This record gives sequence, C-alpha cells and structure tokens, in this order.
Amino acid sequence: MMTLVSGGAGSGKSAYAESVILRYSAAPRIYLATMQAWGEEGRQRVERHRCLRAGKGFLTVEQPRNLAEVEIPPGSAVLLEDLSNLTANECFGGAGFAGAEERILTGVDSIRAQAGELVVVTNEIFSDGVTYPPETARYLDVLARLNRQLAAQADRVIEVAAGIPIFWKGENP
Amino acid sequence: MRLIIGGAGQGKLSYALRTYKLTPTDVAENFSAAHTGRIFDRFHAAVRAALDAGENPQQLTEELLEANPDIIILCDEVGCGVIPVQPEERAWREAVGRLCCDLAEQAKTVERVFCGLPMRLK
Repeated sequence: MMTLVSGGAGSGKSAYAESVILRYSAAPRIYLATMQAWGEEGRQRVERHRCLRAGKGFLTVEQPRNLAEVEIPPGSAVLLEDLSNLTANECFGGAGFAGAEERILTGVDSIRAQAGELVVVTNEIFSDGVTYPPETARYLDVLARLNRQLAAQADRVIEVAAGIPIFWKGENP
Repeated sequence: MRLIIGGAGQGKLSYALRTYKLTPTDVAENFSAAHTGRIFDRFHAAVRAALDAGENPQQLTEELLEANPDIIILCDEVGCGVIPVQPEERAWREAVGRLCCDLAEQAKTVERVFCGLPMRLK
C-alpha cells in the first residue's frame, strides 16, 4: 500500500503521515530522511522531527539522494520524508537535473517493492503565482510531475490543511 | 460554463481533455481565441496579458461568456504566496482571485485538480 501525503508548510502533514504509519503494526518502522541539515535552522528542523518521532519505534535512515541504494528489512512500514527535498537534492546536487525524475521514480519503486507500507510526504508549493528563475521553475516542473505520477500510482492521496486530512484518492486509513 | 482550478503543474489541462473528450485543437490561450474554443487554458496568464495591455479583464470575461457560454475555463490558483512587492503583481493576483469567484458563482461545475486528481467543489 502506498499513501501520498501533501500540504503546505506547517500544515501538519508530517504528523499526519506518521499517524498513518503508526496505524500499522508492521515492524520495523523506518523513517527515510532525505533532508541534508545545513545550518542551525536545518538542525532545529531535524531535531523537531526527531522529537515528534521519539519513542515510536522508528529506525532513521538518512538518504539525501539515490534512493535506489537503500535496503530495508522486507515488510517494513516506511515514512519517506520528503519528496520535495529529495527532488531538490537530486536536481541541484549529485548528477543534477538529467535523469533526476527517473532516479526518484526508480528509487520509490525500489522502496515500495521492499516495504509493506510506504507513506510519501510531499509539498504543495504550486499556488503562489510567482514566476521563478528558470532553474527553480524547472525544479517545480519536476516536482509537480513526480507528484502527479506518484498520485496516479498511490492507493491513497491525502492533502493536509490545518492538520485536517482531505481525501483526494482512497479511503480514510 | 465550467471552471477548473488548481495550482501550477497539477494536470488541469490533461484532466479537462480526458474528461470532456477534447483535443489540443480545442484549446485557446487568449480571450479572443476563447470566443470559439472549447477550453480556455491558462486564464490567469490571459488576465495578466490583458492587464499589461491596459485592458479590463472583467469586461473581457463578460464578453467571452456572452459569446461562448459553454466554455471550460482553466485557471491556476495564484493567491497563496507572500504578498508581492510589485503593485502590478498584486493587482494581477487580486484580479485572478476575484474573477475566479465570479466565474465559480456562474459556473455549472467547479472542479479543483490536485496531483492530477479532481475534486468537485460545485
């Protein structure tokens, strides 16, 4: 089963995504972290998310790019956080834009094949009406396409607003 | 008239083409072409072009609906960012938002597309 969870900054999407994982008794629980913590703000963000997960039995795996390299115990419940970060890491670091979309889709496929449950967190950053510089616009295009493709593959697509889940696809888990 | 809204890149056009069994030749991207087209894509950009040309997008919209009352209008949601510094950016955002409210009121259906998935709002 794959669930895609999206929402704006501070919408409560992480906490909601985690609650989806916690509903499954499947062990182990894997937190697949894509963020590279640069600077104080990044470290605080990581710390905040670590506190949220404390005592919930998550094993943290850090993988900022090349998701296909990750090996996890078969049947795990995996929380992948998050797609926008992973996409930025792939597009602006490592091998760059060339093949980034395919690398990410292949990586998600690989995790999905190993996991019993996969929850992917992504971001809603497409409704601000801003015209961005070409590099950023290209990144947004890649992320929007990935969101659509994963939404098409997912069993459930949930938008979180003010902590409230809105079901775009599938039933309340 | 039908209205389809959603963020940039969410798949509004492919959803509209699929759902209403239309082809790219049915798609207009400016007010005058929309008088005879089936789909008016990128309405938000046409509003911007009208404002930049010193035209009144509200009047253009009213004329459009009179000429083509069955048009399917696709518009990006553009109002969820920080208030822009440039006055013309602010005026555009505001105009798109208000026009969408007017369109939604008159529309037979209003749908919102998110990650390629539709939700009926009206």
